[in-house]
Amino acid sequence: MRLIVGEGSCGLAAGAGAVHTRLQELLAEANPTGVELGITGCNGMCFLEPIVDLYDDEGALHRLVKVQAKDADKIYQAATTGDLSLVDGLRISAEDAEFLDKQTRIALRDCGIIDPESIDDYLAHGGYQAITKILAEGMSQENVIHEIDVAGLRGRGGAGFPTAFKWRAARDAKADETGQKYLICNADEGDPGAFMDRAVIEGDPHSLIEGMLIGAYCIGASEGIVYVRAEYPLAIIRLRKAIEDATARGYLGDNILGSDFSCTLRIKAGAGAFVCGEETALIESLEGKRGMPRLKPPFPAQAGYWLKPSNINNVETYANVAWIIVNGGAAYAAMGTENSRGTKVFALSGKIRRGGLVEVPMGTTLREVIFDIGGGIRNGKEFKAVQLGGPSGGCVPASKLDTIIDYAELSATGAIMGSGGMVVMDESTCMVGMARFFLDFTAKERMLEILSRVVDGKGEEGDIEKLEELCYAIKDGALCGLGQTAPNPVLTTIRYFRDEFEAHIAEHRCPAGECRELITYYIDQDKCVGCTACARQCPVQAISGERKSPHKIDPTLCIKCGNCKTACRFGAVQVR
Amino acid sequence: MSIKYTIDGVEVIAEPSDTILTSATRAGIEIPTLCFDKRTAIYGACGICLVEVEGVPKLLRACSARPQEGYVVHLHSERVDRARKTALELLLSDHTGDCRGPCKLNCPAMTDCQKYVGEIREGRYKDAVSTVYEAFPLPASIGRVCPHPCEDACRRKMVEEPISIAFLKAFAADKIEADGDPYVVSCEPDTGKRVAIIGGGPAGLTAAYFLRRYGHAVTIFDQQPKMGGMLRYGIPEYRLPKAVLDRVEMINGVKLGRDIQFDELRAEYDAVLLALGAWRSMNMRVPGEDLAGVHGGIDFLERLGLGERPTLGERVAVCGGGNTAMDCCRTAVRLGAKEVYVVYRRTRAEMPAADIEIEEAEEEGVTFKFLTNPIEFYGENGHVTGMKLQVMELGEPDASGRRRPVPVEGATEDIPVDDVLMAIGQGADCAGAVAEELLTQRGTIACDGMTFRTAYDNVFAAGDVTNRGAGIAIQAIAEAQKAALCINNYLEGDEVRAQVPYFVTQEKTPEDFEDEPKQKREKMPGLTPEERRDNFEPIYFGFTEEQAQREASRCLECGCHDYYDCRLIKFANRFSVEPERFAGEMHDREDVPVVSEVIVHDPDKCVLCGLCYRTCDQVVGKTFLGLYNRGFSTVVNPMVPEEARTFCTSCLKCVEACPTGAMRSFPAVERVTQLV
Repeated sequence: MRLIVGEGSCGLAAGAGAVHTRLQELLAEANPTGVELGITGCNGMCFLEPIVDLYDDEGALHRLVKVQAKDADKIYQAATTGDLSLVDGLRISAEDAEFLDKQTRIALRDCGIIDPESIDDYLAHGGYQAITKILAEGMSQENVIHEIDVAGLRGRGGAGFPTAFKWRAARDAKADETGQKYLICNADEGDPGAFMDRAVIEGDPHSLIEGMLIGAYCIGASEGIVYVRAEYPLAIIRLRKAIEDATARGYLGDNILGSDFSCTLRIKAGAGAFVCGEETALIESLEGKRGMPRLKPPFPAQAGYWLKPSNINNVETYANVAWIIVNGGAAYAAMGTENSRGTKVFALSGKIRRGGLVEVPMGTTLREVIFDIGGGIRNGKEFKAVQLGGPSGGCVPASKLDTIIDYAELSATGAIMGSGGMVVMDESTCMVGMARFFLDFTAKERMLEILSRVVDGKGEEGDIEKLEELCYAIKDGALCGLGQTAPNPVLTTIRYFRDEFEAHIAEHRCPAGECRELITYYIDQDKCVGCTACARQCPVQAISGERKSPHKIDPTLCIKCGNCKTACRFGAVQVR
Repeated sequence: MSIKYTIDGVEVIAEPSDTILTSATRAGIEIPTLCFDKRTAIYGACGICLVEVEGVPKLLRACSARPQEGYVVHLHSERVDRARKTALELLLSDHTGDCRGPCKLNCPAMTDCQKYVGEIREGRYKDAVSTVYEAFPLPASIGRVCPHPCEDACRRKMVEEPISIAFLKAFAADKIEADGDPYVVSCEPDTGKRVAIIGGGPAGLTAAYFLRRYGHAVTIFDQQPKMGGMLRYGIPEYRLPKAVLDRVEMINGVKLGRDIQFDELRAEYDAVLLALGAWRSMNMRVPGEDLAGVHGGIDFLERLGLGERPTLGERVAVCGGGNTAMDCCRTAVRLGAKEVYVVYRRTRAEMPAADIEIEEAEEEGVTFKFLTNPIEFYGENGHVTGMKLQVMELGEPDASGRRRPVPVEGATEDIPVDDVLMAIGQGADCAGAVAEELLTQRGTIACDGMTFRTAYDNVFAAGDVTNRGAGIAIQAIAEAQKAALCINNYLEGDEVRAQVPYFVTQEKTPEDFEDEPKQKREKMPGLTPEERRDNFEPIYFGFTEEQAQREASRCLECGCHDYYDCRLIKFANRFSVEPERFAGEMHDREDVPVVSEVIVHDPDKCVLCGLCYRTCDQVVGKTFLGLYNRGFSTVVNPMVPEEARTFCTSCLKCVEACPTGAMRSFPAVERVTQLV
């Protein structure tokens, strides 16, 4: 019997650490034979964390979900006695199990399966076969790039630039007398609602290392740098261990696997500026400077890190590379659409029933991802829109749900593929507030001020047009890719939800009932049973009333935190 | 291998290392930019140098884009101009400061008061006069008579009292004349164009001065024996600035419509400026106005100016509350009247006359009868002997914001008078002088407020004679200054309209000046009321040189020291910005004022072009400055703590590089040198 606890950041946040500790204590006490305890990364079912995968002696998987520390004893009992009926109450439902069945996992192939802290586990799952094949067969740089080209792999960080094109440019760029070129991994995953890069590093760090090794080989770089945001401490710990292990085994360092290819990898922790996810700003930051975009040209392929030829891709892109080399570019290209090949990972969050990571072939519709896999909207509410691509992306309304996942098709909606964040919104989400939320990442200046005043009901006639004008001015004048796409969240919400903007400005009304300045909480006197739950949750004692008689909210005290509405089990707390 | 391409149709040759900007600069084509300096690496922050290239979907930054063979570049297109304007408007929407001081902005003629006050402080009187001459040619006169709107706006009053700007101007003009070192005006080469100016008052003289400087031949016609108009005949102290009017033909004693004809002038001259002034006293429309002894105030002053000494009775009433009324009552005192009343229908607070005039009139024994209004003059044998006054009270505010006087029913008062001077306003007297179609209903000449053009293409008008009628001299001068520019534009075949410049302005409160040391306004030495009430001697002696310099040193120098070098304001005006479109919160970024011992940084004026810190790094080879924070909170700041700031050598390269007034060096000498 093997007990594998899902210990990505999501699992740990849900309490996996306590489950692990308890299981460890029990095992240490009795030291039973034939029961192993291990860890793995996130398998994407974040909505079910903490997850414990129990593999029986036949190797069959029994997935236990929403496990709490108190359940550990039961699991231990089941594992030691073999009586699996003990944990029947924790088993994943058939419906939820479909979440994984409907996916095609390449970038996430080992996530939630292998032990991210064990290079042996990676090797056992076919790890480092791709680099071994390249070096053993003496594949030329061009041959490798050709496979990537055939695969049609495009940058998964947002812009979707063909990876093979970038690699060729960096390979062909003339290095100076030092011969130095650099390969950089962008792991500064800053988009709200995107967490696949974290999952890959925490769950399968060696796949990133292998992908980077192949990239370094192709462009002729002897040094690779992974720029990880400092907010991902666990990813940094696991990646550091993986680099150490890979170096110890000869997959990194001088004369890798006996070849004349040498490459080292190191980690640089980013300090948190959102713009550092933009490649040239990231390079500036790597050099120890203030993270600000550089003018292009020159492109990083010509003059990147320390002005040497550099290639920069994001984590998910690299995570696909080894699979492509092992399985062939054609196998990868067989999935997807004409211009968007392979698979793409999406991070589902927001008002969705099953939030987590989903990897599907390109060409899948948004509806399939959100409804078939994600299970639709929580609490029986209506779907309103999905935000794709983070602060560079846009909101896609219900009428566009049948749009397929394809770089061009998504762009046509005004959103972008982006890094794959999908923030799902229901009828209670204010789209103006949503636009402000995303703009807050990119423009803390005049445009945000205008948007904020609209949210606060202080918008003026002409503000919508002013916002549009600023959006186009920024698109026209921006230095970097981020700037050119930063207005998208505002433009798409105006495009699809103009009526909500107008209601805020002309009627000082928030149709979704979300904007604090424009709403009032009140208690429906007919529905309130006087349970006092709301009053106990109110942080400012704004709710009064006798037990078992209807309560009231004092609007002069209310800070509109919404705690009462969440606490009420009778739907008596309402917003107007 | 060089590359050929065109910018706005001009062929430009570029080397492979060139950008559009560098190759254009070499070809003598200016592309506006705030953040580019050839000594530093390309940065591309300001978004002002955008250009459109045919066939290229995006706008390109000229500072970084490399030209390609055959590029067709446009510096101006609707898209470029809009993007550039928006970029400037956004920068300006959070750029706080005073381009020019409130004194200058409140002067109708936009005289650069701060500059000449600074020049006086430094003892450079001729420069000071030259500064005034940029706005108008009559510093000695205007310095004495102007009700100085500049001083009303002066922020020094938030410390204690405003700077004595007007008297300083008169001081400088008197000083260079006394020193025998007059200011000499230089003129453009003759254009061969001829302009006739009717009226030799402040407007006519000012227009003549500017038109002559533009190189046009000018003839001034005036009905009086001497030039000066209201200044000579309406105000009892005047000196004609000889240096100005050299080479201007002056013909006195001719009246339009009597001695010369409007149509003939129009035909004979390339352009005509009507600056006839407003010489007709308004009537009060009450019974008895035609009695002997009831005079028009301005007629009375005119007779005085012509050298007459009119005789007045012992009791004189002056009707009205303006500056002309003050001139009348104080003249009546000097002519020997025993009792002089000023009859005014509102209270002292509403009087349009300058405070000092009222004070000095009181000192000279004038009695003010506020809240009274004449309703009848009566007399014996055809001469006035008394007047009936209606007692008034203040009611609701009227359109001008002043409380409207309303009669108190049944309350009247009688006062015996020997003479009455009516100074309730002046009208133009154009009947018979010009074509009817040029006139407004009030009998003034109708002209456009921006072009000063009348119904006839080549006929312009300025001063008291236009539209709304009489105002203060400096307003007439301001109109003449702009009208001269419009006439010049017209003669050169350009668009006639004068541009209204854009300036960044800010509000200040007394709290902003709490730490400013107090220094009292210099007291103007002069005659005591006893010494002055029986003669027409000038009542002020003028400042001594020490006084003038002390007074000038009180100036707070509100206007930006960098105005003449500021690229932001230059572009703002060139591209006709409207930053109020993006008006919002102004960010008061505190706590980083001092950079080094001699360099100070004003983050509220900073446009974050980065030139200061890039210059420090890339040109000087130090990294003393850097950017902190993000978005609106971004500031330029020394990168090291204060106690470690020894490695700034105060080379001032950052100050030179700054395209606005955000970086400056602060010893006083430095400031003024940059102003000139």
